[in-house]
Amino acid sequence: MKPSFLKKYGTHAILLPVSILWVGPLIWILVTSVKTRVEVFDASSGLLPQNFIWDNYPAAMAVAPFATYMANSFLVTGSILICQIITISLAAYAFARLTFPFKNVIFSFFLLQIMFPIYAIFLTNFITVRELGLLNSLPAMVVPFVASGYGTFMLRQAFRQVPTELSDAARLDGCGHLSTLWHVYLPLVRPTLVAFAIISVVTHWNDYMWPLLVTNSESVRTLPIGLGLLAKSDSGADWTRLMAATVIVISPLLLLFIIFQRRFVDSFMHAGLK
Amino acid sequence: MRFPSFTPTKETMVALAMLLPSLVFLSAFTYWPILRSFYFSFHDVMLGSDKIYFLGWENYERVLSDALFWKSFRNTAFYTLITIPAAIICALLLAVALDTKIRGVALYRSAFFYPVMIPSVAAGMVWVFLYAPGYGPINAMMETLGLPKLEWLYSSDWALPAIMVMSIWKYSGYFMLILLAALQMVPRDLYEAARLDGVSGWHQLIHITVPLISPTIYFVVIIGVLHSYQIFDYVFVMTQGGPADATNVLTLYIYQNAFQYQDIGFASTVANMLLLFIGGLIAVIASTLGRRVHYLGR
Repeated sequence: MKPSFLKKYGTHAILLPVSILWVGPLIWILVTSVKTRVEVFDASSGLLPQNFIWDNYPAAMAVAPFATYMANSFLVTGSILICQIITISLAAYAFARLTFPFKNVIFSFFLLQIMFPIYAIFLTNFITVRELGLLNSLPAMVVPFVASGYGTFMLRQAFRQVPTELSDAARLDGCGHLSTLWHVYLPLVRPTLVAFAIISVVTHWNDYMWPLLVTNSESVRTLPIGLGLLAKSDSGADWTRLMAATVIVISPLLLLFIIFQRRFVDSFMHAGLK
Repeated sequence: MRFPSFTPTKETMVALAMLLPSLVFLSAFTYWPILRSFYFSFHDVMLGSDKIYFLGWENYERVLSDALFWKSFRNTAFYTLITIPAAIICALLLAVALDTKIRGVALYRSAFFYPVMIPSVAAGMVWVFLYAPGYGPINAMMETLGLPKLEWLYSSDWALPAIMVMSIWKYSGYFMLILLAALQMVPRDLYEAARLDGVSGWHQLIHITVPLISPTIYFVVIIGVLHSYQIFDYVFVMTQGGPADATNVLTLYIYQNAFQYQDIGFASTVANMLLLFIGGLIAVIASTLGRRVHYLGR
């Protein structure tokens, strides 16, 4: 009895301090966003603020149009996700269930995209987007991510687990490929779709470099870019306002994460299993 | 005589139609840019000018004799080779600790995973604050522990390590979840048998757990290397490559050449070198670590 007792509390004894270290920055953001400027620069004032100051939030909102940034972030992330679901479902179905010449060669070309880091091709993609006349528009932030080798791969694996009897039955009932995909396959691979959606949303909601390159006016900027600009204009001095803005920027995803914590973590873990 | 294989079947046509949307976008934004970057690297191309001049190997000769390129290359390599293994070891230990049935597992998982959800700009800014030399909490903490205060991001010795510590904080949770999923597939009776044979916890980890989840560890290493270029965001927000180029990395160097000096040809050459570096690193990992991966039942 005793060793397991010790082991149980031993794990907590290690995990608790480490997790506090991990949560530290988040607590710091929240606490600083309700402090006064004087308290921030006074190292002896302690962690908690003397009075909770909420003024930093409206002050941050007044400096930059965060509502516009948030709407743009929603539009861009949502469009990317919808486009990706369409392209990867179609391609994954073809790879999983149809026979055609050069299937493996074409599939390996899809996988190639996973191996090429976006940071090695952002430059030439920038030139392409400029040539298409898309600079400084919302589509500029969407088009490079419409196709996804990673998503196609994940979904193809999931489709191959679906028993062929099910699709054969659907085909005998007169369903075409598209309606078989829609009525049989997609509902059955929902966990994989959710996992892919999470990865996609987290990646593109938080993306900084690409939106930074292709936008230069406030009407099309996304949240991370807005925050970066605010940081520059404040030159790091007005931490209270900056941390209030940070809370505004990080809260949508963190709220979603808190609400769907269990599902979120489970789907993410399934996705990682590949 | 007929050549049946030359007449596409209906199924082939359906498949092509289904692949078409992906292929169009992959061609335009993955394959074409790679080819074009290769083409640009042999030419003099300026941003905002339509004229292109053939240069041959000149850009490559310039890259190889450029001190700043080598500095960014070393910084990138140093960052990747320390941060990715450190984050993975950290993630593995966390995953093993959280694979037990202890109270508050969900809370712990959230505590370690939430940094993944935070935009890198926001994370970068918070850490600039945490590292601030005068009033930053990290220096205050070091002072109470009796350690010397450091200039962190303003010191050419400590700026890159400071960014690396932050990256480990940001990515461990992501790797942890992937490893946790693999751990949950490991048969419990193996540990039971080992425990009865008197094998210690540490030896169980090294001789049972790690070999059994080695395919996943391998996957995480590859993903980690491909992700390690996110460092651009941090460097751009936190140090702009300074002080004295101590945190300049290849991605930032490409950005500077392309958008500050408008030299697309040279920047493309550096991008190709980056690609070569990542490709080489992955080849090395595949031929060393990849050979040692142990697949159950295969």
